[in-house]
Amino acid sequence: MKEKNIIAKKEFNLKSFFFQWEWMLVLLFVVINIINTFLSPYYLDPKKLLDATMTFLDKAFIVLPMVFVIILADIDISVASTVALSAVVMAVSYNLGVPMALAIIICLLVGTLCGFLNGLLIVKFKELSAVIVTLSTMIIYRGIAYIILEDQASGKFPAWYKFLGWGYVGGIPFILIVFAVFAVVFGLLLHKTTFGRRVYAMGNNITASRFSGIQVDKIKVIVFTLTGFMSAVTALFLTSRMGSTRPNVASGYELDVIAMVVLGGISSTGGKGKLTGAIISIFLIGFLRYGLGLKNVPAQALLIIIGLLLIFAVMIPNLKFNFKKWGKVQKTS
Amino acid sequence: MADFVLELKGITKVFPGVKALDNVHFQLEQGEIHALMGENGAGKSTFIKIITGVYQPDEGELYLNGHRIEIRNPKDAQKLGIAAIYQHVTCYPDLSVTENIFIGHEKVQKGTNRILWKEMHEEAKKLLDQLGANFDPKVQMGALSVAQQQIVEIAKALSTNAKIIIMDEPTAALTKRESEELYRITEQLRDNGASIIFISHRFEDMYRLAGRVTVFRDSKYIGTWGVNEISNDDLIVAMVGREITQLFPKKKADIGEELLRVEGLGKTGYFEDISFTLRKGEILGLTGLVGAGRTEVCQAIFGILDYERGSVHLEGRKVEIDHPQTAMKLGIGYLPEDRQKQGLVLNWEIGRNITLPVIEKLSNNGWLNDGKESEMAKNLSEKVQVKANSIFDHASLLSGGNQQKVVVAKLLTADLKVMILDEPTKGVDVGAKSAIHEIMSDLACQGYGVIMISSEMPEVLGMCDRIAVMREGRITATFERSTATQEAILEAAMMRGHAEAERAAI
Repeated sequence: MKEKNIIAKKEFNLKSFFFQWEWMLVLLFVVINIINTFLSPYYLDPKKLLDATMTFLDKAFIVLPMVFVIILADIDISVASTVALSAVVMAVSYNLGVPMALAIIICLLVGTLCGFLNGLLIVKFKELSAVIVTLSTMIIYRGIAYIILEDQASGKFPAWYKFLGWGYVGGIPFILIVFAVFAVVFGLLLHKTTFGRRVYAMGNNITASRFSGIQVDKIKVIVFTLTGFMSAVTALFLTSRMGSTRPNVASGYELDVIAMVVLGGISSTGGKGKLTGAIISIFLIGFLRYGLGLKNVPAQALLIIIGLLLIFAVMIPNLKFNFKKWGKVQKTS
Repeated sequence: MADFVLELKGITKVFPGVKALDNVHFQLEQGEIHALMGENGAGKSTFIKIITGVYQPDEGELYLNGHRIEIRNPKDAQKLGIAAIYQHVTCYPDLSVTENIFIGHEKVQKGTNRILWKEMHEEAKKLLDQLGANFDPKVQMGALSVAQQQIVEIAKALSTNAKIIIMDEPTAALTKRESEELYRITEQLRDNGASIIFISHRFEDMYRLAGRVTVFRDSKYIGTWGVNEISNDDLIVAMVGREITQLFPKKKADIGEELLRVEGLGKTGYFEDISFTLRKGEILGLTGLVGAGRTEVCQAIFGILDYERGSVHLEGRKVEIDHPQTAMKLGIGYLPEDRQKQGLVLNWEIGRNITLPVIEKLSNNGWLNDGKESEMAKNLSEKVQVKANSIFDHASLLSGGNQQKVVVAKLLTADLKVMILDEPTKGVDVGAKSAIHEIMSDLACQGYGVIMISSEMPEVLGMCDRIAVMREGRITATFERSTATQEAILEAAMMRGHAEAERAAI
């Protein structure tokens, strides 16, 4: 029997190219901007829109590694506590006389260590899920921050440190530039390297990945460590923007971050989704918040809208399926 | 018209892109055991799902005792007295046997809806007794062996008063003795008036049980014969569409120097005192009953499990293998037993699956190289003859045999010396089976050392140069190809358990 040749060239399919969640998000993004423009005459001002990004991009740094975590079918809810702990340690060490540059490095180290510890616990204690491990460290990291600083604020940073959160380079917010650089790095890491391929493999089937010789534990630890590191980056920008820090800083960030990732089309069951989706949803939620803020819509209403968007995001893939099934039933009966 | 309990006429079922069934016919007589055979992907599974109401046919008609029926969902099928026992037992391992039997149709007190546990346990006990099973219905399902779980599934079918019972490869995971037990039960069901559709890849099953056999191929109906009217060869031709000249295409390979030596390997509770050698060009069979520790030994050599005692030597050098990656770097590959869970990323394209183990080698310092990947994927999928249109087809859409070929292709990516194949042809159709055997034989000729774990006696006898038999975690005998017989191997596999097993069978 003659076997026909197997095709090894990918055909470009226009329909499947556009039938992607990311395009849905782009569409939603455009719609939100149009609505905002109608709602407020002050909205569509490029300068102001750029400035608006400075208010929401701090947590966006954590979204990038969180995409990896969720593709692995894990979760990290300790990120906000990591932000608080690394910010507090930085502020306290600076006020104890450590030079600011060194304090920043300490901040990054503390965050990285927190993430590394999460990863280590998760791979060493297989019976504990990532949710439980990071729930515990969430409480512990925040607790340590409280012990160090008690219920006080710490700040009085040097003037140049303000540049991180408030500065511009060529008219573009510095934070936006840094975020863009990180986004490209993480995008390449996820979609163009063997590391990213392995992360997807593990998210889809961790057993088969192990049998295929992938060092699954090592990759998990790296991903959680990256998450800790990026939480510290968030701590740097957030502290700079606020001018000082407290142990209760960044509370609720973990949920915002996870919401952005899920809205970005990264399936919480693992193995699916693209980084671009999460990046679009950062700006989608950010601009939505900014636009509604201009109209003095209360923050609670915004939460409801984000909640609805999330349900929508999770439902869409299933909805498609149901429509098909429904159509069949109609036909046969 | 009323000659048949169940009759299907001109059934067609189309899924996006594939015709899963194409104008298929089937007639089931009252009180017969009717074998349904065909390669993986021939449409048998879809066919069953039509009868059990999981799928609706796009065209065609179903008749029950001569009356036109429609089966809209599995509940309908249950009401009509149709029950299916699936290939992979679909049970709730944490619930009791009774709960598993009555799930979906629990006995409840009228009015209060209180569950009548006592009555259910009694009924369950009665059903199990009837099937000759002697375990307690209160025991947890997960604590039972696969064979016992299958009996529970049958009891479940009986509890719904099923008159038509479909058994989908029930013997695939059973040992010979357990199969015998299942034959007995199946015949008993028939004698009690049930009509049975029996699906299997084993010719043995068909000859032993069935009166008639129907063959599907490539989603089409090929024919129905009385089992005594059709020869083995003709049946294979009907199933495969071509003649398989040799069932076990073992070629003569030059057996060279020692490649792998295992000395006194032990892990408490799993295996003990395991020693063997493997030479270049040799196919070593590792056989024994399911649960004898064969898989565990091989996974320890591959670095999935750790071992506590003993040592592994590769080409005369002692090696420490703590991770599959180390094993693969040293040149040891392992084809896992469960292709869907351990072998494949089902949601992924064929190509990505194939290149996964060597993704690092195909990259430029960690950067993915699509060109190299596609080339390797294309070459290997052609080499193992995967039936697919492109390397971008998803693995989940392939039939079992073709999925297995993809897993074999994964092994061929790496630069290996030793290949361990764990039940490489389990649940695989004749065509794919002979293709896999051929690849195995070619590998041996090229100087690889091959270890094959298999429970299928003809396969072991047909393909291996030497055969090691395991029982309860130990190697009990080793045979040369020339001296091995089915009886001797069976005895080594069961020795002490022999008397007990005999008793259990009575």
